Amino acid sequence: MSVFVDLNLSYTADNNRLRALIETAAHLGFSTVAINYVFEPTTKKKQEIPAPKPISALIDHLPIVQGRSRPITVLNRLTVVMSDSSHFRPNAAEYRGFDLLAVYPTTEKLFHSACMLLDIDIIVISVTEKLPFFFKRAPVNGAVDRGVVFEVCYSAAIRDSTMRRYTIANALSLMETCKGKSVILSSAAEKALELRGPYDVINLGRLFGLSDADAKEALSSTCRSVLLHAETRKTASGIVYTRRSCQEDSPQPDLCDAPAAKRPHLAE
Amino acid sequence: MRRDEEKGEAAVFQRVVLKNASPYHYMKVCLVLEDESTKLSAVELKQFIITGLKTLYGEVGAALNFDLLKYDEDTFTAVLRVYSKWLVKLWSSLTLNGFYQNQACAFRVLQVSPFLLALSGNSRELQLD
Repeated sequence: MSVFVDLNLSYTADNNRLRALIETAAHLGFSTVAINYVFEPTTKKKQEIPAPKPISALIDHLPIVQGRSRPITVLNRLTVVMSDSSHFRPNAAEYRGFDLLAVYPTTEKLFHSACMLLDIDIIVISVTEKLPFFFKRAPVNGAVDRGVVFEVCYSAAIRDSTMRRYTIANALSLMETCKGKSVILSSAAEKALELRGPYDVINLGRLFGLSDADAKEALSSTCRSVLLHAETRKTASGIVYTRRSCQEDSPQPDLCDAPAAKRPHLAE
Repeated sequence: MRRDEEKGEAAVFQRVVLKNASPYHYMKVCLVLEDESTKLSAVELKQFIITGLKTLYGEVGAALNFDLLKYDEDTFTAVLRVYSKWLVKLWSSLTLNGFYQNQACAFRVLQVSPFLLALSGNSRELQLD
């Protein structure tokens, strides 16, 4: 069994609140958390994609996870709210700074393309409104085959009883289609008191139509496979990985960009 | 099935063997409130839990029996006893309880066990030297 992971802690500009969130997550037993930056493009004007803050700037001493002797791992994640197909720009340089990439499709067509085409890790399922479309078998199976997972967030259900109805209804209709596989449960918590312990969430999974084993997987192994999928997204099929290795203070930094064969021979 | 050891003297300890699934589950829960100066009595706590059950499961849910065995007013820690069959319902309603009198709150479920004795110690709080 792998460790518990919560892949959605809402980003707030308030550093103290974010620190409290991370500390609570570690105390509850989550070994890895991801801070979620939401990017909602509108048609009116061009907007900046948020840049992830380095973790060391947020919190200087990572808390120790309860029950383990290791500090918590904190990742960055970007969620793009898509209401038009042009909102997701594949290969955008801004996306590279994030460890995880998620989209929130608002129409059936976008949901289909998110499942089948887009190079992403997570598809967020709406929990704050009535589902505008039905989940069809074909795109859902396509997403499962590609290793893309669906995310259900539970903190809206804690905040409001109407949202709770939508969360349960939408989650149930998703589970009917995907049969409990390739689903992750995460918090989307804004405050520390909206976080729940991993075993509480597993129990909550029963309400969403997951079996005990599937609910436990939704917090642990499925999340691990998402993280591995995110790694392979940055590489060529997860095998080859390139990175610029020249330093700022190296003697001829401009030469590093040229392929090795085209560089002038320095030894001469 | 219960069997008292050492018949002659007063039973010092007791061996409990469950042949089927245990009828009850015991939960140790701790209520975390935003405003820590709030006072909460045992009756209010039970009423709060029942209200949570009622909002999630309706009248039928509010009818499920559970007992508040022990409650510490200083730390807001309580031990609940519930029929095993209804554990999932009670636990999920505790999880989704987010507000107590318009202030944010959270139930932290510390331990769940079919044996009350198991709640007497917590291995996660051991201080190893």
